[in-house]
Amino acid sequence: MIELTAPNLWEVLDRACNTGQIMAVKEFDMKIFNVASRLAKEYDIKYDPETPVPNDDSLADDAWKAGLQLFREVGAYCINSRRVIEFDESEIKDGLREIRGEAVIGEGSERRVVNLRSVEDKRPPSIVCGGVIESNFPEGELFVKLYQSIAQEPIIDGFYVGPPLQSSEGRLVRSGTPLEAHLGRSMVSWVREAIRRAGRPGMHFISACTSAIANVVACDPYEGLRRSDGIVSTIMPELKTDYENLTKVVCCHDYGCIKHVYNGGMIGGWAGGPEGALIVSIANAIMAVMVYKIGIGASYHALGYLRASSPNYSAFVTRPCVWGSAIGSQALSRNTNIINTAVAMTNAGPGTEMQFQEVVAALCAAIPCGREGLSEGVRRFKVVPLLGSGLENRFWGEVGHAMAGVKRDFANSLADEMLSRYENKITRDSEGGPLGHTFDEIYDLNTLTPRKKFLEVYEKVKKELEDLGLEFSHAHKEEK
Amino acid sequence: MFNAVLTFDSDAAADAARAAVALNIDLVKAIEEGLAKGLREVGDRFERGELWLPHLMLGAEAMEAAIKVLEEHIPREELETISRGTVVIGTVEGDIHDLGLRIVASMLRANGFKVYDLGCDTRSLDFIEKAKEVRADIIALSSLMTTTMPFMKDLIEALESMGLRDQYRVLVGGGPVTEEWARTIGADGYGRDAAEAVKAAKELIMKKEK
Repeated sequence: MIELTAPNLWEVLDRACNTGQIMAVKEFDMKIFNVASRLAKEYDIKYDPETPVPNDDSLADDAWKAGLQLFREVGAYCINSRRVIEFDESEIKDGLREIRGEAVIGEGSERRVVNLRSVEDKRPPSIVCGGVIESNFPEGELFVKLYQSIAQEPIIDGFYVGPPLQSSEGRLVRSGTPLEAHLGRSMVSWVREAIRRAGRPGMHFISACTSAIANVVACDPYEGLRRSDGIVSTIMPELKTDYENLTKVVCCHDYGCIKHVYNGGMIGGWAGGPEGALIVSIANAIMAVMVYKIGIGASYHALGYLRASSPNYSAFVTRPCVWGSAIGSQALSRNTNIINTAVAMTNAGPGTEMQFQEVVAALCAAIPCGREGLSEGVRRFKVVPLLGSGLENRFWGEVGHAMAGVKRDFANSLADEMLSRYENKITRDSEGGPLGHTFDEIYDLNTLTPRKKFLEVYEKVKKELEDLGLEFSHAHKEEK
Repeated sequence: MFNAVLTFDSDAAADAARAAVALNIDLVKAIEEGLAKGLREVGDRFERGELWLPHLMLGAEAMEAAIKVLEEHIPREELETISRGTVVIGTVEGDIHDLGLRIVASMLRANGFKVYDLGCDTRSLDFIEKAKEVRADIIALSSLMTTTMPFMKDLIEALESMGLRDQYRVLVGGGPVTEEWARTIGADGYGRDAAEAVKAAKELIMKKEK
């Protein structure tokens, strides 16, 4: 039995709201930059574009040590109170010890155990968490059908729902307003309907409304967000939180649902280049343990892909992002019990070869590097409606399972090959890849099956992957 | 001064400014050819992915340190001619994402704009009050969430209802914001990213001057 000795949530909130040192945000940001830059030099961490998925254990361990040291020196920052939430070395050590490395999600026949995976683990990921992020769907039936198309994929064990839609009851939704609270509840009800239609009423999902109240009002063990479901709390770049996210953590704590904490170290942001972003992404994961208390109750974490703010604005699956993500995954898997999943958003839209290639590159940095699962979306980000479907979720699942047991050397060559096929399309001066196809183009909405044309694209890419040496046989599952 | 900005050295920038004053050098030229050129170079390197956001901030700080020394020796009217224009910038109400905002603010500074950064979660009326106070040319709004984009429209409506719409150009941008959205709400300019935001700001100033 682990004795809980790290500062509890109430003590953490006291530091965040009442007692932490007050500091100007700019001072905090520049401290991150100075310390991360120094640590990158001290640990000799250098971005290597030739090796998108490194297999150097000592590099992963050095990145871990640098991330730990960064968090020790800098702490976390609460935007509302402008207070720094600091922890001493023994508190961090205790916090890391409290993580159990296992979480149970879903109910009944959909109950799943999410486990800690090791680097090059032969077991397939226990959860493949799908979803559609950053597109805009209309309220009601089409939204239900979208998530039904995901839930009906047997390989998907759970999924991400968010961000909030743009309308509720036909009215424009603004952040933090009462309509968003109503929308949070509505979205969860529609998801319940989607998983019921798919014959999986106990299936796990996570709610990712931006305002805490929208998630809070959705909590209902019968018709709403159940305790086997989860709420997403975010760590903002870098090492920052706010009262909305802390309120979500409190809600998970009191209600007893699953905490899903997302963070994304950002290349070009406060921590500097790829090396600093890698280090700060690890520090962000430690913040999830210490501030968001993911060691208490069931939780899983998502170390975000490192987004480049320049020159590839908001791109997730670029070469430096894959590099940082691969090392970050290995660092956490080798040194902690944090169940680490991945969030990656593609530049190309659904139904395109490029989106599948981006998915493969993202998975190379995830599954062979010790991540547990994944969720995904399209990062076109320009409010293009209906960009998402169950088909690319199926692809994530199939390739994710195929990646189990894959060695990092092979993942490296595969990622390199995929990147070389599309990276010229995500430069500053390019269009960012094809926009893709809408849900109703990809699926026959009457039968909720993918159309032949898109299945052919799917099979073509899968065949290419097989030719490159990726095995889709599920025989290795038996080794679990 | 150019080198001091490029090496992010505020003390050296201030020293160089004092030396320029002592040597009776044309101070306006010193700002344009030294400080501003240095910061533009930092901005260009950021755009090429060679430098990062903290470098932009540090470069701007070095420039500010030198300007603080120089402005005591330059007539106010002359100082105003150096500035390309005045921008009040912030992330709209309900939105706490500041990274893109900081990048755009820094890039505008690097391109000669006088920038008042109001930070995140800024209410429309606060933008307007500040714009009135500093006699801004442009109000620049950032949003990273679809659910905070409507607050951009609010600001434009508020300007209209206060009879101030003609006095300020409104520039919008941010992750989910599109050119179409900018048109729909009646914004004057749109930037897909920081570089385009700067370009749009320059165009808006040129149009205003005509």
